[in-house]
Amino acid sequence: MIKTKSRLRGLMAAVFATAAIVVPITASPANAATEITFWSWRPEDKVFYEAEAAKFLAATGISVKFTPYVATDYNALLSTALIAGKGPDVMQMRAYGGMANLSDAGYFMPLLSKDIPALKKIPAGTLAGAQGYTSKLQYGLPYATSVLGVMYNPDLLKKAGIKALPTTWSSFFTAMDKVKAAGILPLGNGSGYAPGMEQLWGAVGPTFYGGNDFYKNIVAGKKTFEDKNFVASLQAVKDLVAYFPTGHAGLDYNTARGLFANEKAAFYIGGNYEISYFRSLNPALNVGWMPAPAAAAGTPRYVTNWADGGFAINAKTTNKAAAIKFINFLSSKAFMQDAADSLGWISTISGVKVTDPAVVSMVRAIPSSGTPFLTLVGFRYGAPTSSSIMQPGFQKVAAGTQTAAELAAAIQAGVATWYAPLKPKA
Amino acid sequence: MAKSGLKRDQQRFTYLLLLPAILTIIIFTSLPALTTLSYSFFHWTGFQRGSFAGIENFRRLFAFPFRDSLFMAMRHNTLVFIGILIIQTSLGILIAYALYRLKRGQRFFRTVIFLPVIFSLVIVGYMWQAMLDPFYGPINYLLHKVGWDSLALTWLGSTATALPTLVFINLWRWVGFPAIIFLAGLNAINSEYLEAAKIDGASEGQIFRKIMFPLLAPSMTIVTVLTFIGAFEWFDLPYVLGGSSGSPAGATDTLALMFYRLSFGSVDSGANEIGIGAALGVLIFTIVGIGAGFGSKYLRSREVQM
Repeated sequence: MIKTKSRLRGLMAAVFATAAIVVPITASPANAATEITFWSWRPEDKVFYEAEAAKFLAATGISVKFTPYVATDYNALLSTALIAGKGPDVMQMRAYGGMANLSDAGYFMPLLSKDIPALKKIPAGTLAGAQGYTSKLQYGLPYATSVLGVMYNPDLLKKAGIKALPTTWSSFFTAMDKVKAAGILPLGNGSGYAPGMEQLWGAVGPTFYGGNDFYKNIVAGKKTFEDKNFVASLQAVKDLVAYFPTGHAGLDYNTARGLFANEKAAFYIGGNYEISYFRSLNPALNVGWMPAPAAAAGTPRYVTNWADGGFAINAKTTNKAAAIKFINFLSSKAFMQDAADSLGWISTISGVKVTDPAVVSMVRAIPSSGTPFLTLVGFRYGAPTSSSIMQPGFQKVAAGTQTAAELAAAIQAGVATWYAPLKPKA
Repeated sequence: MAKSGLKRDQQRFTYLLLLPAILTIIIFTSLPALTTLSYSFFHWTGFQRGSFAGIENFRRLFAFPFRDSLFMAMRHNTLVFIGILIIQTSLGILIAYALYRLKRGQRFFRTVIFLPVIFSLVIVGYMWQAMLDPFYGPINYLLHKVGWDSLALTWLGSTATALPTLVFINLWRWVGFPAIIFLAGLNAINSEYLEAAKIDGASEGQIFRKIMFPLLAPSMTIVTVLTFIGAFEWFDLPYVLGGSSGSPAGATDTLALMFYRLSFGSVDSGANEIGIGAALGVLIFTIVGIGAGFGSKYLRSREVQM
C-alpha cells in the first residue's frame, strides 16, 4: 500500500515536471506560428472564409481560425466576450447602430488609413456604416453594400402577358392583378417574418416620403414620423398585403423566399442578399431586378442602400500587426472579387466586377437613385429603435389591428424618447 | 470529548462536500444576480456605465415606451402559467394515474411519455414549426383533407393562436415531467389506505378523489412551484419560434425575451438599454422569488400529512 502510494506520488511528480518543461516551450510565441481568431455571424460562409484563410496563410504565414455563430446570437455572444476582455482578434461588426454601442465603449480598435489604405477609397457615406455614434471614429472596414428593390421572374411575367415592367404604383398593381388572374402568386412576401416587413417598406417607402430630402429633414428634426408622406409610405405596405399569399401571417422568411425561388411567385421585394439564397434553391432561376415603382407618374424612384457590415479589430488583441494584415487582405481587390463571385457581395471597393445581371442593375442604379435605409441608418442608436416599433407594428397593420397612422404615431413617440431632434418642442 | 471531536470532524466533512455546490451557486448565481442589481442603479450608454441613477431605470421600465411591452409580456407569462398549470398538470395526473393502474408495460409507456423531455428544444421547436407550416405542414394538409378547412389556421402567425400554440408545444414536450412526479407520489401512498377504502366499499373514482388526490399534495406543490418558475422565466421556446421580438406582433413576447432584447439589443432592430434590462432582470427575480417562496409556503401548509 505504502509502495503504491509512493509510486503514485512519483508518477505525479514526473507529470508535473514534464508539464513544467513542455508547456512553456509549446506556448512560447517565438516557437509558435501566429494564429488569429475571426468571428462571424455567417455560418453559411464557412467554406468561403476557410478557403480565403488558406490563401492568407500561404501569403503571410499567419493562420486564421474562422468561427461563425448563429446570426441571432452573434450580438450577445460577441458583446459578452468583449466585455469579459476576451473575444476574437478580428470580427464582423454590424453596421450603424447594430454595434455602435461596442464601438463607443472602446471595444473595437480605431482603424487608421495609414494602416488600412483601402479606407481612403471608400465613399464617406459608406464609411459611416462602421463608425461610432458619439466618437465618429472609424472602427470597421465596411465590406459590402446592400440594396433593396423589387425582384421579378421574367418567365412568369411573360406567362401572365406582361410586356413592360411597371414603373408606377398603379401600374405595379395592374401587373400584379394580371399575374393573379393567370393563376400565379403575385408577391412571395409574407408578414410572418417581421424584419422582412421593414425591408419591404425600406424598398417601396422612399418614393412616398420623398427619399433623401425627407431623410435629411427628419434626421435634423424638421419633419417627424407623423408626416403625411411618411404615413403614406406605411400605408403602401398595407396596400401590398392584399397581394401576399393566403396565410401570409404564418409565412416564415425562408418559405417566403422559397415561393419566389421555386417560381410560384412572380415578384419578391427584398435585398440583393436574397439572390444567393434563391439560386441555392433553384440554380436555373431567371431573376430580374427593378427599383420600387414610383408613387405616381413623375415622382422619383429610389434605390435604398446601406453599408451592410464591416470588419473590425478587437481593441485588446495581442496580435495587432497580424490583425491589421488580415484586414488589409480582406480589403484587397482579389478578396472582394472572390466575395462578389461566391457570396454575391456588392463590394465597397471600386473595380470589383459583378456578373449577376440583377446585381449589375442594382449597382448601376445606386449613383442616380440611391437613398439611405432610413430606419436602419438613422434611428438604431437608442432604445426603442424605430425598427423595434416598426417591425411588430407592420405585423399589426397587415393583420388590420393597427392603422398606418397609429404605427407612425407609435414610432414618433418611441424614437422621440431618446432622439433629441424629434422631441416635442416646449 | 472524543465523541464531540468526531461530530466536529463529520460536520467539517459535510461542509467540505457542500463547498463545490456553494461555490458554484455563488459564482454562477449570486454574483451575476448582485451584478445585475448593481447595473440597474446606473445610467448606461450602450455598454458604457455612467453615473449613479438611483431608481431611474425602474421608473423608465414602468413608463412609456417600455411600459406597454412590460405589461403585455407579464400578461403572457401569467397566461402561460395558468394554461400550463391547468392543462399540463391535469394531464400529468391522468397519465400518472393510468400508468399507476397499468398492469403491464408501465416502464415502456413511462419512457415513451418522458421521451420528449430529453429532446433538444431547438429540434422540438423547428419540428413543430415544420408541422404547423401553413403551406407545407402536414397538420393543415390533413385538416384540409378531412374537410376542416376552417381549422387550418396560421397557428404560429396569428396573434390569436400563436401563444396558445406555444403552450400546446410546451405541453407536448413537458407533460412527461409532472406525470413522472405524480407517479412517484402515487407510488409513495401507503397501499393500506387504498385497501381499507376498498373494503369499506369505495368506488375507484372515490378512492382517487378522496384518498389519492389529497395525498398527491406534496407532488402538486413541487409541480406548481416549478411551473411558476418556468412560466415566468419562459425564454427558449418563444425565442426559437418567435424570435427575440416575440413574433407575431409581440404576441409571444415574455419577460425573459424583453430582458434579452433590452440587455443585448436585437439583431434586426439594434440598440440595447442595459440599465433598464437590469431593472427588468431584478423585477423577474423578485417576481419568481416572492411567487415561488410564498406559493410553496402556502401550498405546503395545505398538504395532507401522510
